[in-house]
Amino acid sequence: MTNIPLWLIPLFPLLGTIILASIAVASSPNKKGAPEGIVGAIAVLLPAMSFVCVVALASTMPDSGIRETICNWIDIPLLKVDIGFLFDGLSRIMLLFVTGIGTLIALYSIGYMHGDRGFARFFAYINLFLFSMIVLVLSDNLMLTFLGWEGVGLCSYLLIGFWNKDLKNCKAANKAFIVNRVGDIGFLLGMLCLITIGGAGALNYDLLNQFIQMLIAGGHVELVLPMLSLAAVLFFVGCTGKSAQIPLLTWLPDAMAGPTPVSALIHAATMVTSGVYLVARLSNMFVLCPDVLNLILVVGALTAFWAAFAGLFQNDIKKVLAYSTISQLGYMFMAAGVSAFDASIFHVFTHAFFKASLFLGAGAVIHALAGEQDMRRMGGMIKKTPVTACVMIFAFLAIVGFPGFAGFWSKDLILERIFTNCNWVFTGTWLADGAVPMNKIFYVTGLFTAVITAVYMGRLIIMTFFGEYRGDKETESHIHEAPAVMLIPMIVLTFGSIFAGYLWAESIGITFFADTLAPVLSAAQAFDPARMFNPDMMLEEFIPRITTHVNPMLFAALGTLAALFGMFVAWKGWGKAHIPSVKGASTAPEGYAKGWTFLWDYVHLFFIKAVLIVAWICDVVVDKVLQAFQWTISAIVSIVGDGATVFQVRKVRLQLTLSLFGVALLVLVVLLTGGLV
Amino acid sequence: MELQPIFIQLLALALFAIGIMVAISRRNLFFVLMGIELALNAVNLSFVGFAKTLPDTMSVAGQIIPLFSIAIAAAEACVGFAMVIFIFRNRESIDADTYSDMRG
Amino acid sequence: MLLHLLVFAPFVAAILMVLNSKEDFRSATRMAILFAVAFLGLSIALVAGGNIATTPMEWFWIPGCKGPTYYYLYSHGLGAWMVFLSCGLSLVALVSARGLLGMNYRNFAIGIFSLMGAMNGTFLAADAVLFFFFFEAMVIPAAVLIASFGGEKRKEAAMTFAIYTLVGSAPMMVALWYLLTFADNSLLLSIALAVQGLPEATQLVLLICFLLAFIVKTPIFPFHGWQAITYSEAPAPLSAILTGAMSKAGVFGFIAWVLPVFPFNMTEISTMVWLGLASAIYGALMALRARDGKKLLAFSSMSHLGIAVAGVFSLSEAMLPAVLVLLVAHGISAGVQYFLIGVAERMTGTRNIDEMGGLAHKAPAFSFLFGAAGVMALAVPGTAGFVGEFTVLLSLWDLSPVCAGIMGFSMILSAAYVLRFIQKVIFGEAKHECKEGVKVSGLEGVAYGTMLVLLLTFGFHPAFVTESLHLYDAPAAEQAEETAVTEEVIEEEVEEEEEGEVEPLESHIVNSSDIAKLDSSLIQAGFSEEERKELIKQVIETEANIARSTALALEKQAREETQVRGVEDKDYEINDAEMEGHPATDAAPVNEKEASND
Repeated sequence: MTNIPLWLIPLFPLLGTIILASIAVASSPNKKGAPEGIVGAIAVLLPAMSFVCVVALASTMPDSGIRETICNWIDIPLLKVDIGFLFDGLSRIMLLFVTGIGTLIALYSIGYMHGDRGFARFFAYINLFLFSMIVLVLSDNLMLTFLGWEGVGLCSYLLIGFWNKDLKNCKAANKAFIVNRVGDIGFLLGMLCLITIGGAGALNYDLLNQFIQMLIAGGHVELVLPMLSLAAVLFFVGCTGKSAQIPLLTWLPDAMAGPTPVSALIHAATMVTSGVYLVARLSNMFVLCPDVLNLILVVGALTAFWAAFAGLFQNDIKKVLAYSTISQLGYMFMAAGVSAFDASIFHVFTHAFFKASLFLGAGAVIHALAGEQDMRRMGGMIKKTPVTACVMIFAFLAIVGFPGFAGFWSKDLILERIFTNCNWVFTGTWLADGAVPMNKIFYVTGLFTAVITAVYMGRLIIMTFFGEYRGDKETESHIHEAPAVMLIPMIVLTFGSIFAGYLWAESIGITFFADTLAPVLSAAQAFDPARMFNPDMMLEEFIPRITTHVNPMLFAALGTLAALFGMFVAWKGWGKAHIPSVKGASTAPEGYAKGWTFLWDYVHLFFIKAVLIVAWICDVVVDKVLQAFQWTISAIVSIVGDGATVFQVRKVRLQLTLSLFGVALLVLVVLLTGGLV
Repeated sequence: MELQPIFIQLLALALFAIGIMVAISRRNLFFVLMGIELALNAVNLSFVGFAKTLPDTMSVAGQIIPLFSIAIAAAEACVGFAMVIFIFRNRESIDADTYSDMRG
Repeated sequence: MLLHLLVFAPFVAAILMVLNSKEDFRSATRMAILFAVAFLGLSIALVAGGNIATTPMEWFWIPGCKGPTYYYLYSHGLGAWMVFLSCGLSLVALVSARGLLGMNYRNFAIGIFSLMGAMNGTFLAADAVLFFFFFEAMVIPAAVLIASFGGEKRKEAAMTFAIYTLVGSAPMMVALWYLLTFADNSLLLSIALAVQGLPEATQLVLLICFLLAFIVKTPIFPFHGWQAITYSEAPAPLSAILTGAMSKAGVFGFIAWVLPVFPFNMTEISTMVWLGLASAIYGALMALRARDGKKLLAFSSMSHLGIAVAGVFSLSEAMLPAVLVLLVAHGISAGVQYFLIGVAERMTGTRNIDEMGGLAHKAPAFSFLFGAAGVMALAVPGTAGFVGEFTVLLSLWDLSPVCAGIMGFSMILSAAYVLRFIQKVIFGEAKHECKEGVKVSGLEGVAYGTMLVLLLTFGFHPAFVTESLHLYDAPAAEQAEETAVTEEVIEEEVEEEEEGEVEPLESHIVNSSDIAKLDSSLIQAGFSEEERKELIKQVIETEANIARSTALALEKQAREETQVRGVEDKDYEINDAEMEGHPATDAAPVNEKEASND
């Protein structure tokens, strides 16, 4: 075991943030901006150093994990939270790819952001993001996780709105932050639920798990179940915000307004998967609430399907990838919903590689075409940019689940788990058979989604790299392969997207990935809801989880078939066909596709409009009424005052006389009545 | 005949009445002010008169308070005349009846 | 001495500022800033020094009242932090006003110093009449400053502000006078005791009178009519002080005066939670529509303070530190936002945020500060605002999840309006030509930066703020013992009473920690009524500990005097004994009940 303190890991990016922010502010007055060499070096080296720390720690970590409490954070009655870090199987995996991919993408950004006015600012944000993300996955309690949680949201806001001269980007950034805020409030209230049940200690992951074990052992689960379910639902609301699930998903496609490396890092590989991480981290709590798990499953399935379908209609290359990300996140939540948390984390892991390479490839394409993002103006790029094309095609094979590539292993694992683990049976007298086993329905949904995935990804590859170039001639002459600083990270990530799957290839007997996660997740995954109310039930007496025994090879075959079929459809659909030419600058889909794409935007719009109408009422009605009331009072006062002046006499002498009479009268009254009292 | 305290009070009353009458009946502001001064001094006189009637231990108050009141009267006269002069500069008149601006 | 200095030295400084000539801008700024730095130093010493109190001096007898009014200052965690806010914001306001005002700087500084003195007096007064005196005195310099340095409608704004707040606190004056006619003196404890003897209906009327003054000052919906126009017409540095420190006097009044004086009317008071939440939502919605940048900030302040007030009346155990952190955070962040919008106004020559924009490219350093200030106002974790809002949310959740939900909604709205604000002011294309030569000066930048750093520091280590609340018990206990020792000279009768009174007091102090433990376990177990009672007592204790012990000393003094005068001392003492006896006897059974529950 190495003696690297855990706080070093987040410290490096934090240092980077501070240094780069100072450079950015200090260099803002001069025209040239900060020297790119120094800034780039700092921006890459510091995350790289924390990656090295993570690797060193990861290789020597004991199974039970490393725990470190730094200091006290908040200490008031009812709430006592420490700043502490927890490095275990789960955070090891997350940290490895967060810092690793973060470093690679920082390297890529040096090329991508070359010559940008806000070069130093960009890397300050990226470092801040890495800091927050590391805190998110490394913290040992929910409060600190929330710090990272909002921190990444903040960085996402800053980076989406990075080119802030264009108000469209700013609006997208605002949308991202506000939608995330809705989820964050869910997270906050979820924490409060936990505090209500278990006191402030329940915010600590270890203590929470102990507390839950105590509950199970004591048979008290029933007592707290309503509150616990509420907590679970609220945390899941937080996850839907951060991981772009129904209904809080509209911000992610808009978030593509940011620079492409940002999309790759934040909106594909790391930040958006933090929802999945949270569910896995709280898996012990989630498994106690089967209803919530079913909710997660449904939401995941709907999201996966809907987003895949929406991805079919997009013309913007980044938007396709955005919807694809949402869809893949849906898969992860489906896996979490059948309490296959390790499978969902595995998909997070592989997805990080292939989606990052897809985004970086798309970035290279956009870079080559001088900012063009509309796929209808691309085509035939494979001749001009062969390396990029290869990267994208490998990543494409990974995402559609072509046998042997990373996505194949993780996606098929998820589909298999959905089929075998889901013991949710939908019953109702109005049903023909009386009961519907949901596992088949969700499996078919997943498989169908896999077909659509292959279709839209095939469409993307075909429209971008094959056929004839459809853009204007002037840009064509400038098309060039990306510089080496961009290509190296892409190639590294491509290796990842090919081979990452072999960490857990059950059919060839490798379960390395599952074993690393086992200390953290096995308890939750082995948990059976039936045991919740009856702790004495022995392990053997569990209701058998696996309802149907199917040969795993069948799943693999079906998955492969789905991928091949989807690719075939894509080739048939777009391989030869004439691609409609572009009218106007808008890349947004039209017609029925528009309705489908912006379905949830319309739902959001409803709420936004409601709030705005209430605000209008406040401003125009309530406020005016209050003001009118206020001015009525003042008017009455001044009218009465005017009336009172009648009693004043014009002449000073007369007034004096009258006041003397008044005094005399008073004296008289006092004398006659013997005092007023 | 010994000086009866009531005589002093009667004198004070007469002076006070004269002062008030002057203040009320004259239109010239200077006379108004002088009337007020007269009334004030009548009160002082009344105080001194009472000081004479009361036992020694308590009569001190009756002698001290007029001192205060004289000082205040002096200050009041200063301020009052200053104001009259200012008003006169503005209006070119010291007729009290023309000053009706204070009425709302 | 520190307390006297903090209250009176600002007035002396204001007078000394007159020595500067109107024309000599530089010397006036230097002198003003030096003074302000000194006051900030004093206030830091106050915060660090824990609880201190001056020796009470008899001030005057109000005709018709039973007891005297004292000049008596004491500082506890809450007041000390408010004093820190008022001194700190005044310093930054003086720094910020350098670029804004030019010639009239001297007069501005005079106004600011007298405002600061009055605010410090408000936050440090231990005597109700003294408190009221300063509470009203705050209005005058503020109104004068608005009327002389404000925007176009400054006269109207100043009138609205002065009349609204003065009229608002008039009922409190009447209620106070009424209470003083039968309270032993005007110190907190005597008034609280006097209230307990009254019939419930009267208590309620008095309570409403007290509440009204603070509601108007804070302001809480529907009595916020003065706020928007005042804050938007006042010069930006003054607005910062008004919202950052003066409006805190309202919340401070709720905590330090309303809760201890009316501890048993809490069931009626829970309406205040809803009013607080209503103004949180209302303020947020109005901010969402506001075009005027300063008006937007005014409504945002209203929203945050609404949350704070709701938190106060949630009466949870975590209430006091939670609200304190929230107030400090809001004071600093709203203050810095006002200063910065003042700078933006200087640069673009308009307050309308629709006409601003593009400052991110014109003035990157300014925009950095502006964006950072905005983000910190959003209560992002790691800033003090988050600690405050989360803990207040926790208190509200304790009361009812619905309240917490409403507060959550207002937090979402706050994200919406703050981001809209940031976007309109610094992003996009510039719509106005920046005025040349108007930049954030180095000193200003450092001042704003320091405020932001403070927010971060308190965000990561809120103990700086919350610790000050723990300093209560030790000095209070000491003082109680001292009074017991020094009073031996007095007649036997009095001495017997003395012991009878002091002992339960000490047991109170000892119990308070026990009670805290009990209570937290109670809450976890889901009790509500006992909890409620307990919390009430908690509040009384934390707020009135010192007042109680010193009030005892005072009453003894008063008693001596009455004895010397030989006027009906017997009856007085008997009454006194009866009245004092009540809380002590009340407390014991409640404690036992809880012990058995646990």
